[in-house]
Amino acid sequence: MSTAPRAILTQSRDAVPEVVEVCSIRIGDGLYGLPISHILEIVGGAKPETVPLAPDFVGGLVHYRGDVLTTVNARKLLGLPPLEGKASDLLVVEGTNGCFGLIVDSVREVLKVSREDFEPNPSTVHERTKGLLAGAYKLKEKLMVMLDPQRIDPLELAKAS
Amino acid sequence: MDELTREFLIESQEGLDRMERCLTDLESRPEDTALLAEIFRSVHTIKGTTGFLGFKRLEKLAHAGENLLGLLRDGKLTAEQHIITGLLSLLDGLRSILRTVESDGGEGEGNDAALIARLEELQKVEVQKADSRQDKLRQTAATPDEADDASALTSAKVQNPLLMMLAKEKAEAQKSAAIVPAAQSASIATIEAEKTVSMAGTASSSAAESTLRVDVALLNQMMNLVGELVLTRNQVLQATASDPKMTLLSRRLDMVTADLRESVMKARMQPVSNIFSKMPRIVRDISQLLGRKVRLEMDGQETELDKSLLEAIKDPLTHAVRNSLDHGIEPPAIRAAAGKNPEGTLKLRAAQEGSHVLIEVTDDGAGIAADKVRAKAIERGLITAEAAAMLPERELLNLIFLPGFSTAAAITSVSGRGVGMDVVKTNVEKIGGKVEIESRVGKGTTLRLRIPLTLAIIPALIVRSLEQSFAVPQGALSELVHLTAAQAAKDIEWMDDAPLYRLRGQLLPLIFLDRMLTAGKGGRELEGRDIFVAVLDADGRRYGLIIDGLADPEEIVVKPLSAVLKDIGLYSGATVLGNGDLALILDPGAIAARAGVTARAEEDAAAIDADALEAEESHENEFLLVEVAGRRAAVKLGDVLRIEQVPVSRIEYAGLRPVLHFDGQLLPVEDAGGLLAAAHDEMQVIIVVCRDASRQVGVAVSNVLDVAAGSDLFEAGTSAPSAGVTLLKDRVTNIVYLGSVAELPMIDQTTEPWHTAVENA
Repeated sequence: MSTAPRAILTQSRDAVPEVVEVCSIRIGDGLYGLPISHILEIVGGAKPETVPLAPDFVGGLVHYRGDVLTTVNARKLLGLPPLEGKASDLLVVEGTNGCFGLIVDSVREVLKVSREDFEPNPSTVHERTKGLLAGAYKLKEKLMVMLDPQRIDPLELAKAS
Repeated sequence: MDELTREFLIESQEGLDRMERCLTDLESRPEDTALLAEIFRSVHTIKGTTGFLGFKRLEKLAHAGENLLGLLRDGKLTAEQHIITGLLSLLDGLRSILRTVESDGGEGEGNDAALIARLEELQKVEVQKADSRQDKLRQTAATPDEADDASALTSAKVQNPLLMMLAKEKAEAQKSAAIVPAAQSASIATIEAEKTVSMAGTASSSAAESTLRVDVALLNQMMNLVGELVLTRNQVLQATASDPKMTLLSRRLDMVTADLRESVMKARMQPVSNIFSKMPRIVRDISQLLGRKVRLEMDGQETELDKSLLEAIKDPLTHAVRNSLDHGIEPPAIRAAAGKNPEGTLKLRAAQEGSHVLIEVTDDGAGIAADKVRAKAIERGLITAEAAAMLPERELLNLIFLPGFSTAAAITSVSGRGVGMDVVKTNVEKIGGKVEIESRVGKGTTLRLRIPLTLAIIPALIVRSLEQSFAVPQGALSELVHLTAAQAAKDIEWMDDAPLYRLRGQLLPLIFLDRMLTAGKGGRELEGRDIFVAVLDADGRRYGLIIDGLADPEEIVVKPLSAVLKDIGLYSGATVLGNGDLALILDPGAIAARAGVTARAEEDAAAIDADALEAEESHENEFLLVEVAGRRAAVKLGDVLRIEQVPVSRIEYAGLRPVLHFDGQLLPVEDAGGLLAAAHDEMQVIIVVCRDASRQVGVAVSNVLDVAAGSDLFEAGTSAPSAGVTLLKDRVTNIVYLGSVAELPMIDQTTEPWHTAVENA
């Protein structure tokens, strides 16, 4: 198995509770998830200020509690066309290098999911996106694809590109 | 670490800092008993307190030093250079133990026997020469705990008879109370001595009582919070601007915020003397090491600078001083041969200039030969020979700031290791400062560090481009030019792909901000709308930045950018504007560099020879030439803050006085020409906003014509200079006297009920 799902796999081997809380996110048609342990706050109707000449994945700057946060646009990251005319939601994510923002179409409910439903990344996932994903949870109606909070950190993305 | 030890560390360090200053002073005034007493007291206090805290190693070393100092203070020894060197090594020894105590809580294992032996040696050498009377006194010095305290008091303030008496009593008392542990009684004596001094009304100790030590982290946090408050204030002011009920409240908020900000900033300010005071020692050590004779002159030590900035310039300044000693000032023999005073002079000068603090390091050494710099830069592969040949002399000197540049022929332990001036430059630029160098071969070199007063909040002009707001630091902005679509099409001229504008006859390279930010090339076609040219000056690189529009000037709170966005290289930060929008702060220097703008060629050799003083003088004499109702008038350029164009309807009246209201601030407007009375509502009027002492006033004018240098006029016959007029562009022009604009009624003089309520709350 590749290195991508390491975070969750190692956690599951340790004495981590069997049930994890995941914030579910809608990006395009897909359902994605981010462990709530990494989320500081969810801000609705964010209007990030664009930064000319910034790398493609940067969604702009937002003002968050006195700091200026760099945001990552999830649509750009996953290679989706930009969302025209609709307000987006902003997740403030706590990364290893400080906080950053993640711009998504909309934030949905927080789900409690069981470790038993977890599967690591299948080998057929596109190489480019594989690095950003950390496996998936098999929900009843749909797959919830987990985003890897370490990998979507703007600094890490800048290093990778 | 317990409270007592921490107190002891802080106190001892302060004592040692004092001692270091005194020691270097002592070199020039070896007979000064006050200095000796001060040094003695520092060492003695350390020794006394270590007894309590059980730091045996410190105590032993301090004791050895105290014995030597006792002899010096009593005049048995003179403070010759080798003794001062010994005392300085005692100082270093004490400092290093204190450092160990600070980091580990213990004194460490080091052995001070060699140092102690040396200090004892210094005493003996003299004693052998000394007569029997002195020998007897040395025996007294061997039991210093009783004798020294008494004599410390007598010698410190001999002129004070009250203290003399007290000292005698003290000596008596100590003899009788021999059971009290020696160290303890010693420190009590010092404390009591200090008390007596403060009772006697010495200003310095009463100042010490009213001060308080505050953790820098707390100050930083306060600064951040004040920054947030400034932001919130800006937003409140904008949100309530249209509500008359809120005007008074928001104005009060504005004032309180401004005062609070100033107080917190002041709390963080420290005098430059904090780092200047380290220099005499450095200069002494290095000049001895290199065999130079150097006199250090310091000026403006009371100039204050933000604590964090002071920390940040400590290393660059030390480096600059070393450089001056090593590369600048020549050895005495060479100086004498060149007909100079064998003793070189190194001048450190600090002064505040507007929102900057200027620190100059000037030496009267050999200067920097531009040719040598050129050759070296080519040899090191820092620049190609062709490029070097193109550079004017002023730019050539700047090559020494490139990494890996060093002109020292031999590597010394002082400098010349390839890291040099580039470190100075990067460190100073990191905190938003600038470094300039000026040098005349054979005459000397001046290194000028221009440091902003504070980091966190800067005045900036908000400009619009690409439908976005950007902030341009006011420090780099020299003027603004408005071009209508028609003017732009006509006046922007092209040389190949480079757009240029004739600004008062000189060609100004232009940079289209939108094109640079979209990485778009764009041809000569303009989009056919009005544009503004912000004339910027970044490190002598002058250019016009073309923007779509202007918003208000604002005091912005600088927020750092993440590394990803910093790497773009054009932004120095971001800020939240009064309307809640975010704006990126443009870095004028980086934009110039990216567009390939270099320092002006016309300012080469001639400018170098011109004295800096002359430049300042000519600036004094520059005027803004305006037209008021058909007549020409002049406003001192130094007084002009900005020029605003507003519709006449925005001018309001407080009683009969015309005033302009913006951002919750009232600006009295001088309307000598009767422009406002004659104007219709839709008309635009130009207001020149000027600084008059601490207040701001506006002058209504019909047109701004030019900026020009004026010449003084003299009365025929008496040759007395005439005030109020100047010769501008060959015409006698009246200077607008700002002091004549009447003051607005102040809020504190009126008694609004809410005002008192706030005060009581």
